[in-house]
Amino acid sequence: MSLFAQLSAIICPIFICAAIGFFWKKTGQGLDPDLVTTLVYKISVPCLIIATFSKVVVTPQALASLGLASIFLLILNGILGALLLRIFRLPFPSYLPAMTFSLVGSMGLPVCLFAYGEEGLAHGLVVFTITSIGTFTVGAALAAGKVSVDKLLKEPAIWAALAAILMIWTGWKLPVWMSNTSWLLGGIAIPLQLISLGASLAQFEVSSLGRAFSLTIVKLGLGFGLGFSLAELFGLSGIPRAVLILQATMPVAVSNYMFAVIYKREPTEVAAMVIVSTAIAAISLPLILAWLLTGG
Amino acid sequence: MSVLLEIATIIAPLFVIAGIGFAWGRSGMPFDTNMIGGLVVNFAVPCLIFSTLTRLEVDISDFGAAAGVFSLAVGANIVASAILLRLMRRDIGAFLPATVFANNGNMGLPLCLFAFGEEGLALGISIFVVSASANFLLGVSFVSGKLSLRETIKAPHLYVVMAALGFLFAEVQPPAWLANTTYIIGGMSIPLMLIALGVSLARLTVSSFGQSFILGLYRLGFGLGIGLLLSWFFELEGVARGVLILQCAMPSAVLNYIIAARYDRKPDEIAGLVVGSTFVSLATLPLLLLVAMQGPG
Repeated sequence: MSLFAQLSAIICPIFICAAIGFFWKKTGQGLDPDLVTTLVYKISVPCLIIATFSKVVVTPQALASLGLASIFLLILNGILGALLLRIFRLPFPSYLPAMTFSLVGSMGLPVCLFAYGEEGLAHGLVVFTITSIGTFTVGAALAAGKVSVDKLLKEPAIWAALAAILMIWTGWKLPVWMSNTSWLLGGIAIPLQLISLGASLAQFEVSSLGRAFSLTIVKLGLGFGLGFSLAELFGLSGIPRAVLILQATMPVAVSNYMFAVIYKREPTEVAAMVIVSTAIAAISLPLILAWLLTGG
Repeated sequence: MSVLLEIATIIAPLFVIAGIGFAWGRSGMPFDTNMIGGLVVNFAVPCLIFSTLTRLEVDISDFGAAAGVFSLAVGANIVASAILLRLMRRDIGAFLPATVFANNGNMGLPLCLFAFGEEGLALGISIFVVSASANFLLGVSFVSGKLSLRETIKAPHLYVVMAALGFLFAEVQPPAWLANTTYIIGGMSIPLMLIALGVSLARLTVSSFGQSFILGLYRLGFGLGIGLLLSWFFELEGVARGVLILQCAMPSAVLNYIIAARYDRKPDEIAGLVVGSTFVSLATLPLLLLVAMQGPG
């Protein structure tokens, strides 16, 4: 398969699904965000985690080093992001979550899946789970001004991740009916996340695209640099390395916008960052993928 | 024992996922059936059809045979239902669609997939396309009292089947971007359909079962009988036989209730028929699978 065909096989599904959501919303049809959130995050994502890890064989060591690398990715992203915001003289609560948390779910997971198969998806889920924990604790705390742990414990994805770790560690396998059920339910997550991403993009009210543009370029560059160096530092190679670099260079997560709306932290600015970074990803993502797939 | 375990493995996902929908419906949490239905009918199911048919390289003659034999079953069912409804002095236009058209999508497709794998899913889809098209065409025509092609032409199933058959006839693989896109969007359809089925079952209010219940039992019993008869007559074996029997014996489709409600033709009694036949079918599912999975192949 030519590189172009290979790239379009990875990129097209993402943009087509998002386009469906975008036009769905633009044609005036409803997309109840609560329904989508419950279906995706309470039901489907936990099932996707369990189904993937009951199928894919990964060594605990490989997962541990990728997991550690993603924790460092978040921390360094936060620290360097804070430094940059100080230089730009911008307030932390509004901008820091957007600089730190990337679209590792709705965009990162399908990219990992289509570029590196189910093994790629499994590694992508590690980065995703750690980022989700970060989003729900630190991200919410930054925006709200207080930490909440009980919210985290209510997330079924956390329990699914613990179950997955247990399965990998002990080598236990799920009974067929359970893996069948979770595999089926897990199929909702990726397409529905992408459709709702498109629908969100369709309804955002944005402001100051110029500032969003420069912040986004800085964020993507920072992510790439961190992903690349952390992969070296933790001795990652092959799929884990590629997944870390890809996930580190994902655009600004939509959840940042949700938090900004809830806690009234300049949502239009964050929305602009989400839109601009997603548009830039349409160009930067194929370039990074091309570099990785040709042995970069 | 191993047969029982196998059957439990097949039906457990169906019960768990429909159960989630049922609990959702009962909890009173909002569930926008229009949105989920729109996504499923317009995007997810067409993608599932395209993806399954092109990925599997089904033998086109098997695919056509399943559709053809199932059309005979629908024809026989229409004649028998009309006679029965006349004898019971019921409104044929209102009740006939509900006694003829079964839940070949929501319930039939996951069963075909889990009982007979991807090959079963492909043959199940062939039957589902016939059933859904006929349900839109005849269902609306009977209930509204005039022949209406509009719903059938609007439904994307037929066009997608044609596109998939085009690839199969030309013996060309669809490009990877198209295959990946349809695969991933198609993956939503079965779980979302089952959740929506559960929600509908929880929400449909049934005032009295009475004669609707008898008609529901007729739907299941006649379906099973005609499935067995036709598979014996055409000497079907293995997956083809199993899929035909399963699909013929599915409970009445939720779509019948939606059409009845839209045209206000005895929606309460149709709801009773749908809910009654679905619950009886769920209870007798292990036996049905035993019948469908035994025998040659």
